This record gives sequence, structure tokens and C-alpha cells, in this order.
Amino acid sequence: MFVHNFQYMFKVLMRNRMLIFWTFAFPLILGTFFNMAFSNIESSEKFDVIDIAVVDNEEFNNNVNLKNALAALGDSKSKEQMFDIQYVTEAKAKKLLEEDKIAGYLLFQGEKQKIVVAESGINETIFKSVVEEITQTVDVVNAVAQNEIKQQMEEGNLQGMDAATAEKIGREVLERVQGQEVSIKNISRKNLSYTMIEFYTLIAMTCLYGGIIGMTAMNQNLANMSSNGKRVAMTPSNKGTVVLSSVCAGYVIQLIGIVLLFLYTIFIIKVDYGKELPFIVLLALVGCLAGLSMGIAIGALVKAGEGAKIGIIIAVTMLGCFLSGMMGITMKYVIDKNVPLVNQLNPAGMITDGFYSLYYYGAGSRYLFDVISLLIFSAVLLLLSFGNLRRVKYDSI
Amino acid sequence: MTVFKAFLKVLNQCKGTVILYSVILIVFGALNMQTNDNSTNFVASRPDVLVINHDEEKGITKELISYLKKNTEFIKVEDSEEARNDALFYRDVNYIVYIPRDYRADVLAGKNPEIEIKSTGDYQSYYAQLLLERYMKTTRNYVDICRAEDGSVDETALLEQVKSTLKKETAVETTSKLDADKLGRLSRYFNFMNYGLLAGAIFTICMVLASFNKEVIRRRILISSMKRRTHNRLLLLSNALFAVFLWAAYTVIGFILCGTEFFATKQGIAYMANSFVFMFCAVTIAFLLANLIQNKEALNGIINVIALGSCFLCGAFVPVEYLPDGVLAAAHILPSYWYIQNNETVKTIETWNFETVKPLLVNMGVILAFSVAFIILANLLSGRKRENA
Repeated sequence: MFVHNFQYMFKVLMRNRMLIFWTFAFPLILGTFFNMAFSNIESSEKFDVIDIAVVDNEEFNNNVNLKNALAALGDSKSKEQMFDIQYVTEAKAKKLLEEDKIAGYLLFQGEKQKIVVAESGINETIFKSVVEEITQTVDVVNAVAQNEIKQQMEEGNLQGMDAATAEKIGREVLERVQGQEVSIKNISRKNLSYTMIEFYTLIAMTCLYGGIIGMTAMNQNLANMSSNGKRVAMTPSNKGTVVLSSVCAGYVIQLIGIVLLFLYTIFIIKVDYGKELPFIVLLALVGCLAGLSMGIAIGALVKAGEGAKIGIIIAVTMLGCFLSGMMGITMKYVIDKNVPLVNQLNPAGMITDGFYSLYYYGAGSRYLFDVISLLIFSAVLLLLSFGNLRRVKYDSI
Repeated sequence: MTVFKAFLKVLNQCKGTVILYSVILIVFGALNMQTNDNSTNFVASRPDVLVINHDEEKGITKELISYLKKNTEFIKVEDSEEARNDALFYRDVNYIVYIPRDYRADVLAGKNPEIEIKSTGDYQSYYAQLLLERYMKTTRNYVDICRAEDGSVDETALLEQVKSTLKKETAVETTSKLDADKLGRLSRYFNFMNYGLLAGAIFTICMVLASFNKEVIRRRILISSMKRRTHNRLLLLSNALFAVFLWAAYTVIGFILCGTEFFATKQGIAYMANSFVFMFCAVTIAFLLANLIQNKEALNGIINVIALGSCFLCGAFVPVEYLPDGVLAAAHILPSYWYIQNNETVKTIETWNFETVKPLLVNMGVILAFSVAFIILANLLSGRKRENA
């Protein structure tokens, strides 16, 4: 009986084209869109050289310190390159700025220097800050050199300081100041790609959309939902076996869908799920179970038409995905930080967080917490549904 | 009136979906509002930084913290490493600085203590690192000249020196007279409206037309006394009325949420004209789809794919500048691309004359050309269908 019903339910579900579109094809399409839209965000945020211009006038050429320092920062062969500098006339610089080809330009007017930018922004801020740093370095060099000269004079080394010695000291100090090293050690984790969250919410969405499969399978066995259900209710076969085999068929179809999505995201979109394959599989299995249980619960506990039930599943899924960051990754963080309970009760949140922990921290207590939460979520819903189904009896329908 | 009444009846069935798309749009607009209130003056960016100080907050260490505080935004994060890692991952902070124990003492002793940091690697964190490095270098450079003969350092004099050096600023002039921030907000709203107009208008119009096109209903209409042309005209008019209403509502919401001051300006009018043309295009897409497909469930799937696809590929959800070139090149075949390009152009126009407005008109022309193509296609299809009936 189990195998027989499983087989037919599997066929019935697989032939439901709308069902297959929403649970199989739609996540793939959405994943493709995500990939196209997000693939560039992180690389365009990574620091790259900034395009600037310098007005090449006499005052600039006289300011040797600044000229040398800028040349060093604009050296395309150096690893420390920060700017791509064009040395141009003021009119040309204005034009470049207007055409948005440069972040801004540096202009010398007499002793003063001025930066001209089109608008405020991070590139403009870095530009300003670096020019300031160059003038500040000159300040440091002057102070240190003066001190050096004073000391040497006090020690009596230099009677009647001449210009050549002063310049020599100045050069030495400049080299020393510019070569001053400080040690900063970057200890951040390497896997900081936050757009991954989008793909994790996509998995969560697919798991929960799978609820529609579970619900459709349930409807086939409910006397108040379909003629098939009425017929099933009349047969002398064990209801438990029938329901269980239907639900299992739904679960298997769900797993096929999620495997397709994983293959697509791993091999074509190149989503990083971390290294620990068994844990990824476990989370996917548990996630699908949560979706299935939700579908069963809505199928069994809600007394409404099929359309309304599908509507509820879609609404719950979309709300859950919204809270776990599908429409804006920050949302997940804001919720986790301020009202952690919401995402601890939200199945989409548990699934997304599980993948996030696997990716960022590896399989640890946080991952386990998510898996156990999903299991509890499923168990509660399944117990409620089966408890309710057991009692159903129809005198007439 | 009969046709219009029937139209309203079907519309009533779709109200849930229309409300859903409108709510999404309003939420987006409202979230969009919370950007800082800057004008046309230059305002330095302030990266989000978290400082974990293991040293005593005195002297050099205290000054380091206050220097960072002056130039960056300090973020509060729960006191655990996991919370800090999460904050970094979700870009709540761009840069975390761990000041080691004895940092101050080590610097004063002429050593070079190591500071550990965590960084997101983006422009903001790069700037934060510039600031940190600068402070560390400056203090190290000055430490020796403030050293007395017995090897002790006059910390007050050192800090004075450091402060006076780091105070040196460069003047900045901004050329743009536009309030880029606010216009950008409005432009983002209109970009996002792409979704509301496509999903909302196409869905509703398709559902209405699909209901009227149902085999039994169509036959009943065909044998009624009303002329087919009158019927079609009324139906078209009702749909157009609905679309105009939707456009007007979305536009008004946009101006209310993102800047009422732009309502009567050239920019405001340009945004409105552009979205009006696009709305017209959305209606023609709906007509084409309704002629192509009769099954309501299938329509729902196709509309979702078209609306989401247009939004993702053309820059309605993700700003255009972040999209890969290949995607944008492919997006040329979608009307949304031209609509969004126009929104992006409007916010950069400073002087309004024929030369600067020309690209806008060209893009609107392209959208209209798309619409005409859709109408012709739809007519060809429906003509063939009538012959079959």
C-alpha cells in the first residue's frame, strides 16, 4: 500500500506544472537574477585606485615635496598605488570633473592649495585626506629637522650652520619620517562575502515553498478538499499509511528540487556554502522537513480553499525571507541584533542563519542551534497536524 | 458603464495583489528616506568603526580614540567576539581596531607595538586604516623629539605636537549645485517604481483581460447587442484609467516620501513624464501578454519573472553602477533599461536646455517604440485568434 500510493502521489505531484514551476524553476530563475545583479557589488566596493587630476601650474611645480609624494602615490608599478593621476590644465581638469572622469582635482593658488570635487563621497574624502597627510608629513619633517639642528648645535657640532648641512639634515629627516613603519595586523576572516546571504535566503525560500508540495499532497487525502480525498476516506486502508506515503512522496520531490538548486548554485553561480558538505546536506534535509511540516500543518489545520492555503504559505515564506534578508541583507542583521527571538522562531531565518554560520564560522554551536530549532519547529507542527487529523470524522460531506 | 462595472468587479478580486505591490513600494520609499541630511557643501565620509581598547584610556591611547572618534562614526556592538564578527560581516562596522594592552607605554618607550584590526576591505575601511596609520606614524615620529635626556617622554608636549599636525586641513570646493543626496533618493524611488508599475499594472490588466477572454464569456460578449469595437474601446479606456490612477498614486507617494520640494521643478516633471511613458509601455505589455496566454496561473508566473527580471537586470533593485557591464548590455532589450537610464540622467542634469534634455527624449522615444511594437504584436495575435473563434 505504501509503495503503491507513494508511486502514484509522486506522479500526480510531478505532473502539476504550476507546482513544479514555483518550487523548481522559480528559485533557479531568481538565483540567476541574483547572480547577475549582485555579482559585481562586492568587487566594486573593494578599494581600487581613484582617478584624480592635478592642475599642472608653476606653483605646483615649485612644491617639490607634494609633487614627489603624489608621484609616488600615482606610480602604477607600485603596490601602494592609490591614485591614477592626470597632470592637466585647469580648464581640462574642470572638464574631466564635469564628465565624471575624475573624483576631483588639486589646484594650487599661491601658497594655498585647494581640492575641487563635484560632490561629497568616500573617494573625495580619501583624496582630501591623502593631500592633508602629505602636508602633515611636511609639518612633521620641519619640526623634527628643526629639533635635530637645535640638538646638534647644542652639542656644539655645528658652528655656523650652513645651508648645505641644513638641507642634508632635512633630507635625512624626510627619509626617516616617510620610511617610518607602524605595524597593523589584519586578523579578519577571509570569507566576508555578504551577498552569499541572498543565496542562503533563496535556499530557505525553496525549502519553505516546498510546503506547497506537502500541502497539495495532503489535500489529495482530505475528504473536505478533493474528490480523491473522499475516495481515500472511504477505503478500508490504513489512513496513517496513506498520509505518510503521500507526504513522503512530497518530501522526495522537494529534495529533488533542492538538489537541483544546489547543483545550479554551486557549479554555475559559484555560491560558497563552506567546506563541510555533510553539514550542508543535513541542513538542507532539515530545512526541507521544516517546509514540508509547514505545508502539512497549513493543509491540515487551516480550513480554507486550496488558493487561500497556497496564499498563506507564500505569505509566510515571503515574510520569513524578508526578515532573514532576501530583500536587503541588512534586515537580517537588524533583526538578529535587536529582536533575536523573531529570527529564532522564523524557519527561513533558521535556515539562512544555519548556512551563514557554516560559511562564516564553520559547524559549531550556532549551526547546531539552528538545526535543532528547525527540528523542534517541524516536530511541533507535525504533532499538531497529526493530532488533528486523527480526530477527523465525517458523517456526511 | 456595463463594461466598466464588470471591469471594477474583476479589479476588486485583484486588490490584494495591487495592495501588496503598493505596500512594498511604500516601505521601500520610507526606508529610502533615512539618509543623512546634507547639503551641497562638502561633507567628509565617516566610516563605521569599532574600537576595542585593552589599554588604559590615558594619554596617547585616549588621544588615538578621540582622533578616530572625530573622523569616524563609532558603532555600539554587543561585547562579544561573535557579535563583532557578525557586525563586520553585515557591514554594520567597516573597521575594528583592537588597541593592545600597554600600547601607550610601548609607544612612549620607543617601541613599535602591533595593533590588530579587522576590516571589510572596502573604501570605507581603507579610509579608516589611513587614519589609524597616520596617527600611529605621527606619534612615532614625534616621540623621539619629545624625549628628555633621562629617556622619559614629555607626553603632554608630544600630544600637543601630534594634535597641531593632525589639525592641518585642506580646503575643499564642491562644484555641483544639485542636492545630490535628495535627488538620488527620488531617483531611486522612481527606479523602484519600475517594479510596482510592471508587477501591479501588468498583473491587474492581465487578470481583467483574461477574465473577459474566457471562452464562455467571450462568446456571450460576441453575441451581445454591443458593438465589438465599442466594447473594446470601453475596456481599453477602463484599463487606461486604472493605469493612470496607479501611476498618479505612486508618483504622489514618491514625492511625499522623498521630497515634496521637487514636485513642480524641472526634475520632478521629468521624472513624472518618464514614468508616465513607462506606464503606457507597461499597459501595452499587459495587452500583449493577455493576448498570448489565457491561463491565469501561468500568467502569474510569467508576470513575476518579467517584473523581477526587468528590475534585477536594469538596476531598479541594485543601483546601475554596481551592475556588471555584460548584464547592462543585455538589458538594452528591456524597456525598463531605458526608463531607469532616464531616471539616472535626470539627477545629473544641471543646466536644462535642448542639448541636455535630448538624451531623455531619445530614451522616452525608445520606450514608446517598444510600446508600439507590443501593440502591433498584440493586434496580430488577437486578429488571428478571432479568425479561429
